Amino acid sequence: MNVNEAKIVLLRYRPETADAEDPLVAEALALAKSDPELARWLAAHLAQQEGLRAKFKQIAPPAGLKEQIISEHRASRQRAMARLLWASVAVLLLLLGTLAVLWHPRSVPAENTLAIYQKQMVRVALGGYAMDLLTNDLASIRTHLARSGAPADFSLPPPLQHTVVTGCAVREWQGANISLVCFRTGKPLPPGSASDLWLFVVDRTAVTNAPAAASPQLARVNRLMTATWTDGNQLYFLGVSGQEADIKKYL
Amino acid sequence: MPENVEFESLVERFYAPLYQFAFSLTRAEADACDLTQQTFTIWAAKGHQLRDSSKVKTWLFTTLHREFLDSRRRQTRFPQVDLESTEAELPAVAPVAVSRLDTSHVLNALARLDEVFQAPVSLFYLQDHSYNEIAEILGVPLGTVKSRLARGIAQLQQLLARDIAAGQAPPNL
Repeated sequence: MNVNEAKIVLLRYRPETADAEDPLVAEALALAKSDPELARWLAAHLAQQEGLRAKFKQIAPPAGLKEQIISEHRASRQRAMARLLWASVAVLLLLLGTLAVLWHPRSVPAENTLAIYQKQMVRVALGGYAMDLLTNDLASIRTHLARSGAPADFSLPPPLQHTVVTGCAVREWQGANISLVCFRTGKPLPPGSASDLWLFVVDRTAVTNAPAAASPQLARVNRLMTATWTDGNQLYFLGVSGQEADIKKYL
Repeated sequence: MPENVEFESLVERFYAPLYQFAFSLTRAEADACDLTQQTFTIWAAKGHQLRDSSKVKTWLFTTLHREFLDSRRRQTRFPQVDLESTEAELPAVAPVAVSRLDTSHVLNALARLDEVFQAPVSLFYLQDHSYNEIAEILGVPLGTVKSRLARGIAQLQQLLARDIAAGQAPPNL
């Protein structure tokens, strides 16, 4: 390495840094120790470099830059946290909504209400049904119903005790067995019909809002005039074509 | 919040040198502030991807330099310069009366350097970076950094010497 090459290398030399560990710099520095002219050049160069370095170091950040960076970062984090919070709330609500929809039918069995029970029983009476047992003997009917696991120990209002019974059937409804006892009012029956007065008996716990009253509640359901009452643990539902007077005759 | 504390201590430690580097490149306070802030914003978003914590400083300077280059929308690639070609440009280094210049004059001269020399020379004078770190920040080989430093410093000296000899300092920023 000659003096000129050493000067080129030493242009990028900074004292008190790792620059001296660079092999070329180290070689140039060694040459400067033995070459007075190079040593003088190096001293002048370093003085000049120190001045330039000081100029760069004089660059000062404007007041408030650091605080601005930090405060904007905090604001940005808060916004991100808020977004995350809202997203979490939205997900939670969605989850709760989904669970509510999934659980609703089980926790609130809407199909078990009295109104639905009444409508469905009227539909059975009007829509045609097959009797399990055709008989005019009420005792036989009770025996058959008891064997079928349906309510059999029901008590009939006195007028109904004197009405002609024609048979019975067992229906399953919301997990409970229903006894259907069929009667004849004595009026002409429509073709193919065996009865025109129907009594449904079911355990009252099967219907969520079964009336506690023993006195019959009259209501028109579909084409039938109906009476609903409770006796003991059983819910009674009687239906007949006609008006209130027509059903009151059997209560 | 530990993450916040970590971020703030990082800002405390590096915002000034980053700003100095940014200002030496842009020579405009607003641009330098933007670059510095943008660098920390990127750190907040992506800093967790850096596995080697000893590389934080290099990562920050690299990011700032990249952001600077992006902002300049450079179209041409920097040519690689060999050390040998420096010799012809080496000035007869007469000590420049640096004390007669203020920082803006020096930065103005820096801005007139060939573009490839500006960033390495700036990092060189900020003195916080080894040759290896400068190479890493700029994404160029170590030999290229050494070459660019030698040529850049020589060019800077020539420009300053010329300004002073002509008796006119470069215009203020």
